[in-house]
This record gives sequence, C-alpha cells and structure tokens, in this order.
Amino acid sequence: MRCDRRKFIHDTICAALGGASLYSALGNLQVLQAAVRANYAFSDYKALVCVFLYGGNDSFNTIVPYTQTAFNSFFGSNGVRPALALNRSLMTNTVLSAPTSGAGSPGDGNQYALNPAMAPQAYKDSKGASQTSADFASAFNAGSAAIVSNVGTLVAPVTQTQYQNGNPALPPQLYSHADQEAYWQASPPTNQPVTGWGGRIADLVASANTSSAPVITGLNGQDAFMRGQDVNGYIMNANSASTINLLQGNSGPLTCAGAANAYDSGAAQAFCNLQASGTQANVLERTLANTMNHSIATANLINTAIGSAPAFASPNEFPPELSTGYDLDVQLQTVAQLIWAANQGNTGITRQVFFVTTGGYDTHGDELATHGSPGNPGVLSLLSRSLAGFYNSLNSVGLASKATAFTCSDFGRTMTSNNGGTDHGWGSHQFVIGGAVQGKKFYGNGCGFAAGTNYGVVMPSLTNPTPPANVYGSSPNLNDSGDGIGRIIPTTSVDQYAATLARWFGIGDSDIGLIFPNLANFNTRYLSFV
Amino acid sequence: MANPGMLRLRARTAVLAALLVGASAAPVFAQTLSHFPDPIFHDGYNGLAVSGTANISASDASRFLAQSTFGPTDADIASLRSIGYQAWLNQQFSATPTYEITDLPGKTNSAYLHWISNVLGEQIGQNNRQEAWFLGALGGPDPQNGIAAHTDQLRQRVAFALSEILVVSDQNPLLDGFPQGMAWYYDILIRDAFGNYRQLLQDVTLSPAMGVYLNMLGNQRADASQNLHPDENYAREINQLFSIGLVMLNPDGSVQLDSSGKPIPTYNQSTITNFAHVFTGFTWSDCDENTNPGDFPNCGPDYGGAGNPPYGDNFMHPMVGFASYHDNGTKIPDDIAHKQLLYYTGAAMSSGETSPGTLGPGGTPTTDLAFALDNIYNHPNVAPFVSKQLIMRLVTSNPSPAYVARVAKVFNDNRTSTTQMQAVVQAILLDPEARYGQFWKPTSFGKLREPLLTVTHFWRAMHAVHSCGANIAASGTPGTDGYQYPTNYGSQPYRYAGYSTAWSTGLTTTYGVGVSQASLDALTVFNFFKPSFMPPGEMTSAGLLGPEFQIQTDSVIASSNNTFQSLAYNLDTSETCDENPNDQDFDTYGDVKINHAQDLALAGSHSGGPTDPSDRLIAAYSARFMSGQMSPYMFAQLKSYLDTIDSSWAYPTGSDWRLQRIYRALYLVLSSPEYQIQK
Repeated sequence: MRCDRRKFIHDTICAALGGASLYSALGNLQVLQAAVRANYAFSDYKALVCVFLYGGNDSFNTIVPYTQTAFNSFFGSNGVRPALALNRSLMTNTVLSAPTSGAGSPGDGNQYALNPAMAPQAYKDSKGASQTSADFASAFNAGSAAIVSNVGTLVAPVTQTQYQNGNPALPPQLYSHADQEAYWQASPPTNQPVTGWGGRIADLVASANTSSAPVITGLNGQDAFMRGQDVNGYIMNANSASTINLLQGNSGPLTCAGAANAYDSGAAQAFCNLQASGTQANVLERTLANTMNHSIATANLINTAIGSAPAFASPNEFPPELSTGYDLDVQLQTVAQLIWAANQGNTGITRQVFFVTTGGYDTHGDELATHGSPGNPGVLSLLSRSLAGFYNSLNSVGLASKATAFTCSDFGRTMTSNNGGTDHGWGSHQFVIGGAVQGKKFYGNGCGFAAGTNYGVVMPSLTNPTPPANVYGSSPNLNDSGDGIGRIIPTTSVDQYAATLARWFGIGDSDIGLIFPNLANFNTRYLSFV
Repeated sequence: MANPGMLRLRARTAVLAALLVGASAAPVFAQTLSHFPDPIFHDGYNGLAVSGTANISASDASRFLAQSTFGPTDADIASLRSIGYQAWLNQQFSATPTYEITDLPGKTNSAYLHWISNVLGEQIGQNNRQEAWFLGALGGPDPQNGIAAHTDQLRQRVAFALSEILVVSDQNPLLDGFPQGMAWYYDILIRDAFGNYRQLLQDVTLSPAMGVYLNMLGNQRADASQNLHPDENYAREINQLFSIGLVMLNPDGSVQLDSSGKPIPTYNQSTITNFAHVFTGFTWSDCDENTNPGDFPNCGPDYGGAGNPPYGDNFMHPMVGFASYHDNGTKIPDDIAHKQLLYYTGAAMSSGETSPGTLGPGGTPTTDLAFALDNIYNHPNVAPFVSKQLIMRLVTSNPSPAYVARVAKVFNDNRTSTTQMQAVVQAILLDPEARYGQFWKPTSFGKLREPLLTVTHFWRAMHAVHSCGANIAASGTPGTDGYQYPTNYGSQPYRYAGYSTAWSTGLTTTYGVGVSQASLDALTVFNFFKPSFMPPGEMTSAGLLGPEFQIQTDSVIASSNNTFQSLAYNLDTSETCDENPNDQDFDTYGDVKINHAQDLALAGSHSGGPTDPSDRLIAAYSARFMSGQMSPYMFAQLKSYLDTIDSSWAYPTGSDWRLQRIYRALYLVLSSPEYQIQK
C-alpha cells in the first residue's frame, strides 16, 4: 500500500507534466512542479486546523476596547457603536493581558477584552456538580493563543486614498458571502475556486505521509479550502467517517463480516467478494473496487483511531453536558482524537490539514443575543470553549505544540450598526491557538483604533475621523474606511496570514511563493505569531 | 519512469490478495468461475445490423441503450430489437424535444416550469429545475395530462453530455437565484443537441447564464483612465474547455508533438487577451444603455416588481452587444486595433490584415463576435476535441484513435449542416468500436457510470413514479410580502420531486451527501470531473483515462453507495403517505419511488431457499441492468446468497418474503464493480 500510494501521486504529477492533463489550468502546473521538486519528508508531526466561521464574524464586537476611556469612545452614547454596547462589568474574566504598548500590543495603548459571551461557561455536570468550561481568554493569557488583527482578502496593499479615488486591484465581489468565502479559502480564486490553499499545501506534503490516512480532512462538508490539484479532501461526519451502511457493524470496526443484522451478513460477504481486490476482469472494475476498498479501509482507520483515542471529555476539554452533537465542539474533539492517534508510534502520518466549520455569524440583526452572554451562550461561547477545549485536550496528552488552529471568516462587518446588527464588511480579527503559537499578543497592524502612522495604515481613528466623500455622500460616521458605512480595509492579507501558517507547517519559502501568488505584492511575507 | 521493483512488488501483492480472498472469504467456486461476462447471457457477435433487426440480441440492445439513453428498460430493449438501430435513431431524431422552460410552438405552458408557475401558480426554484430535468431524463408521461409521452431519450442524453462540456452551475450564487436562467441555458443544449456545433457555441456564448458564470456579461472595453481591462475568463474557457483545448491535436485526437517531442500549445496568453477584447460590450438584452448612455455597467438581472419585467425575464433572452462598450479596435490606445486570434493554416482574416486569424478594426459587436466564433470553430482541433469527449461521455473512456478519427471526419464532413451533431451522434453510436469494443478490449473497454446516471437507470428500469406529497393552497395576497405560493405535489406521479431528486443528488452546497451530482451543479467550470483524469494506480500505469473516477472519492463512494442502498431497499410505492400537515414528518414534496413487487414472479414461486432458487431474478437483472454481461463468478456469488433467503425472512410479518430477495439483489447489482463499469 505504501509504495503504491507514493507512486500514484508521483505518476499523477508526472502524467500532468507530460501533457496528459490537457485541461489543467496552466498556472497550476507550477504547483505540480513544486511538488515534484520539493519531495517533502518530515521527522515530526504537525497539524493545521482551519476553523471557518460562516457568515462573517463581527470581530469588532468580539474583541473590544476594555480601557475605560476607549470603551466609552467605542460603546458610549456618542461613540461608535452604542447600539451594540457590551456590559463592561461582565468582562473581568475575558480581559486580555497583552502588552499595551510596543510589539504585541493592540497598537493604541489600550487594553482589550473579549465579548463576555466568551467567558468560561458555567454548567452542572451529570452528578450535579458545578463546573466551568474552557475559555479562550485563559488560553490567550497563558501564552497559548494570539490575535491577528484586521486580516482580509487583498490582492495588494490598498490605502484609503486609493480605495476612494482610484481603481486599485481589489478582490472581486467584496462584501459578497460566497465570493469572499471563496477568496479567503482559495486566495486567490482563479475564476471559479479551483483549488484552496489548504488543498495546495496538502498537495505539497502528501508524499511525506506513508499512511493511507487522508492528508486533508473536512469534518462538516467540503469547501474550496480543501481542494488541491492532486489531493482530494476527505469528508467525514463530525464524529465518524462515512461507512458503507451494509457493512456497518453494531459496534467496533467495519469488516465484511460485521453486517448490520444477521440477515445481511451473507449480503456483506457477497458484497465484499464482488469487491475483492484484483479479481475483476476489467481494469476499470479493478480500479473501482480498489477505490471502494480504500474507502472502507480509510473509514475503518479513522473510526478505529477515534475509538481508541481518549474521549477528551473533562470540563476544560469537551464535556458531554455541553456537547452540541455535531457542531464545532464535536468536530474539534474529533480532530484532537485523530491527532492523538497519528502520534501513537510510527503511524506514517507526519502532516495533516483539517477543516472544521460552524455557522450563524451573519448577524444582520439580534447580534448581541446571537453572540451570546454569560448564562445565555451563543456562537461566540461555542467558539471560545471549542478552541480552548481543543488546546487543552492536546495539552493533556503532551501534543499541544503539534497543532495550530486558526479562524477564518467571510469578512468582518461594518462599524456602523443597523437594527441591532451589522452589515457585510471586509477586514476582521482572527484567533490563533496552539502550543507553537507565540501567544498573549496581537499581531498585524493594530486593532484598528489607533491614530498615527504606524498602525492601521488606512484605519479610521477615534481621534482623527475621516469622513469620506463618496456615493453615499458625506458620512456622519466617525469610523469609516471610505465607503460611508464603516467597512474596514484590511491591513494584513489572507496570504500573509496563510503563508505564516504554511511556513510553520514546513513548506519552503519558494513553494509558499507559488501557492500564494499575490504574496509578492506585500513587503512582509510572514508575521511572527507562530 | 516506473520503478520495476515497485511493479513487481505490486504484482506479488495482488496475487497474494487474490489467494487470501479465495482462502478466507469466497466459496470454493470462486477460483474456477470466470470473471468475464457470461457467454450464456450474451448472444455473441453476429455482425452489425444497422438496418435489419434479426441480429440484435437483448444484450446488444441493452448495451446500445445504456450508451444512448438514461438507462435501458425492458420495453425499450424490446422496441429496439423490433425496429433496429437506424429506425430507432430516426425515431429519436424526430421525437418532440422535452424542454424545461421553452414552450413548444403553439402550446403555451407546455414546458414544465411554465406549467408549474403559470398554471399551478408555484414559484420556480432550483428544486423545480431538477424536477424538469428528471422529467426529460426519465421520460414517460407528462404530468400535465399524463398522456403525451416524453420519448426524446437520445436528445436528453446528448444534452446532458454537452452540459458536462459547456459547464454552468447553480453553485454560482447569482445563477442559484435564477433557475429560469439555468433552465433556459439547458434548453439551448436540448435544442442544439442534434444541431450544428458553431450554432451551439454562439447560443451558449450569448446566454446570460454563461455570461454570468464566466463573466462575459457586462465585460467592457479597456479604459486606461480607470485601469480597466477586459475580463479574460470566457476568452480562456471557450478555447480551453469548449472547443480546442490547450495543445494541438491530430485528426484522431492524439497530441501533436514538435520536433523535440513536446506538445504544441494551441494559443498563448496574448491570444486570450485578444479574445477578451473581442468579448466586450455584451450585457442584458433589456439594458437601457441606448436610451441612457453610460448605464451599461449598472444593468442587472430582472428582479420583478410592479412595472418591471417579470423576475428572471432577461435571463431568458440572448445577451445584446452595445457598441460604446465593445472594443472594435478604433479607440486607441485602449482598444487593440489588430486582434490576433487563433493562428492556424487557412484561418480567415479581416480584409487588409496580413496574418491569418487577425480581426481588424471597425466591426460591430455582432460581426466581431461572429469572426471570433468562426475563428474558433474552424480550428482543426474542434472536430477531434469535441468528438472524443462525446465518445467518452457516451461509450468508453479510452476510444481508439481510429474511432475518434472516424467520428471527427463525420463532424468535419457536416461542418455546415444544421444536423451536424445528429450525424456525429449516430457515428458515435453505430461505430463498430461502440458496438463490439467489449470483445476487442475486454479488459479495458467501457466507462464508469456517473452516479446520477445510476440513479436514472435504476428509476427507468424499475418504472419509478412520484408518490405522496401535498397540495397546499396559496395564502396571503399575491405581490405582497408574506404571500405563500401554493404547493401541488399530491397525486402527481410524474412530478419527480422530493428528497431523492434534490437533496440526495447533491443539490446543496454540501458535497459528499447523496450521489454528489445533479444537473448543472458542478463545483467548478471543470465539471464534476475532468476529461483528462487518470485514476491513480493500474490505470495510470497503463495510461488509461477514467474521468468519472474523479467524483468517486473515498467519502463520495460510500455516500453514493448508501444512497443506492436506500433506493434499492426503501422508497416503495406501497408506503403510506403522511397527509397530515400537523405531523412532524409531514411530507410536502413526496418522493420518487418504485414498486418492488413488480418482480415478485421472478424472485421465487413458493417458499424460497435453495429449492426455490433465485436464478431467474439474477438473470433478469443481468439483462436489465448489466446488458447481460454478468460474469459466472458474480452470478454464483449472488445465487449463493440469495438462495438462502426464504419465507422465514418476511419482514414485516405477513409481507411477501420475495421482496427481501429483490431488495438485496438490486443493491448487490448496483454496488458491484461489474455493473458500475458500463462496458
């Protein structure tokens, strides 16, 4: 199996280079050439975990000023967002102890805190005892997590002046969900989203794994992020791999003998005999049977791994009392189990990419309740305890430094609000967590509320408002990047964010340039958060 | 390039695996029975009976129909045998087309989507578009009157093949909101399926759905003052995917090589840029640019509303060119005065130009577009490129070069004919390699069935109908917020609605459910699979293409097989419908179901077990599903298991035990590699 798998990949690549792949986009050949040249091999294990928040998280109400004066400027009655004001007194558990000046600070001299929805969640366990869940601020303050501020889709750096006056190169269809999701995941999408950057990274490292375990796995459906040129993302359920129902045992691994009931045990045996490897007369039949057998084996491998792994069910991991059954918490719990299994002995798995997703972030209205609050958990509560639970799970088995989880979302949201919600924006803040993360810090060009030239190149400022002249007329909004309703121009590109993660993952500098073609437009290729 | 040591290792492993299987799992006969198609079920090679009928066996007829329809049925097999191939083809060429949203002449609302919106008052959604597609694919009675039968199987099958070459998709967010536009696009493929490929290229190019999908709609001439350049998306894909491909081909479809052995590119980036400049100035037909100059960039789709055209109306008219936004080579330096398009021997050029394939200045949007499409259509690659892909969609993944050359010659011989594609399709299906390739290349002939075609085959062969579903009256005031459109799915055997036609075929953004395939639902312009895909392993080593394998990933093969199982075991027309709207599992849409009991007489005649064997059922399914190509090995495997089923298996108690044989026989056939490879 091992030899064949490596050879398959090699043959596919060579076939493509030899001209058989008539329909490959020309540009993608570069990635293939890189894959041939790179020949990656690793002696250690690393996992990248993309946490995609569908809908466009309002990170400007997720990570907020805590210093009293700044808080007042932001949420006060004459501030930026009075309609979405949070209760500062509930933030004592979510204050972020990053430096307030210099490197690693938010950039405006202020202290920041997380939305109180992200505070530890109190619950009663099955014995009636009071427990509290994991939370992101604790991980941040312990140095295991960081915030990358004002990231977004960019072709090249854009200033406010360029945005207002010129026609700078911009990602197509800004503010559109589908297009911006695609851009975040493909960066850039070539016409249609043909490959995603998770898939392109997986293409490069696939040959480093000798196991038949999938190199890139999605736990809640597929999206552009997972598609490589050669590597097909494997899709599984939140807590198990898809199996052939006929062969589904009542318990334990999938085998041809383990039919669902006695009546079907003979059917299972006939099924397996018809699929027996190498026995079919026609090469297409043999190839299909091998695909089927590989599917069965992979599902078996994954389900066995999950079955053998720790449950990671303690209060600061993924307590069953809080389980959603399918959402982000369960998906990350499963990823932690798969990472644990890959690290038990010489499994032949050295690099894995995971794609987990959750939704509910398109908060046009009722944003505060959707985000949640202490006692009334919402999407941010789930995000906080899931990210921290993931870190704590791996940390409990000494594997925290092997995995880096990072969030992505369609876009940020407008600084202005409407009817208790916000509209589609552009730049946004993202979370990164893992043992390798240089934590307790902010990265990027500040949190966006600083005056001056060092931070927030085109960011609006509380002290230096920049009312624009544009199609909406002169904007009354203090915070405005140029279009009149407070869409913030990103100051760090998705490519820089992704390239930093790819470099940690072990991708070489020149290959990173190939899989992120627009990275060349930025002076700084990498941030230092991991 | 291949490592001999590795190959030897694999060979040994395969032998070992076979021995292990023989030793541990398979019954003793596994080592003696052939895995090749059973000669007993195949009447052999009797010569090609194009006009006569005597020599067409049931197996021959079934094979032919597998290539030319959405799946053979017992009735169609009998009909083909009685009239012969040519007469059957002639019937198909003259059969009334089944359109999704285009009414037949003089028959208002005859198209399915017009019927449901204009007569039933429903709102058209993408799920309804899939219903319309299934109506054409499954054929049979029309839901409007239950009498007029849809019999244009070959046209529908070719249109589906074309939809996988000239791809648009409801995965595009704007197209997703306009099923009318998608249906209108599909109707182009249906109308032109037997027409001329140049006409098809033009109709597709000017369709708003394609214009939206590949960004030709609204594409403007360059404007340096705004740093604006024509979009190259359509320019690239019409060449790469719809007509000529990336490298020069020989007339037999093989790749031309230069003196150093390298493929010769068909075009370079400059060619694409020049095409992009031609493909400018086209937008919605009702754009008010002429009365309101400068409005071109602001024109959009029709969203309906009082005083406006109906929702989606301009999606159903060809795009129109506007001269002021079209690069005709006269606004220098933004325009390109002399546009070098595809360069090849004999390529036409504008008067006054010196290089073949050059479009000169001064044209109109219409004349320039015609020049560009002629330039593409007349390229020598088009005939082998299109012919080979159609052969691959219908007959076999790896046609011989001679087969491609024969079909390509027919393509070229009929270049100016309005029935060019009719001749091409006939040449594909009546070619000796299509009819006898399974004997010439028994170990590599054929193609993997697309999962959606497995579903249509199953439903056609088993006479599926729609059942259950509800009639819910409209509520509210039409044209106001809160108006609830009516639903009319009750007692509609030929409205192919429900879970198994929409959700389980993959009509959601969640790939990996159901069979992950639905009409016009590919993830990208590269279709569900690329024509160049070679499955890893033995086929790659042998240089064999297998495009359909690209969709059968580890996870999809499991979910599609589970879908096949639920089709085979469940969804029976005898299930009672939940008609109470207050129930939690109240069924608004109903579902497509079969009557398993139709095969009871084949499944046994008394109480089952070895003394009441399953041979007749297996033989019937070999004929109906596998063109009689089931191997003796597979036959014995099925018989060995199905013969154990007897009257004690009846479930629920009191039901006919033979249903248990039917469920299991169906699933084991559908999931088998021997069935899944159409040979």
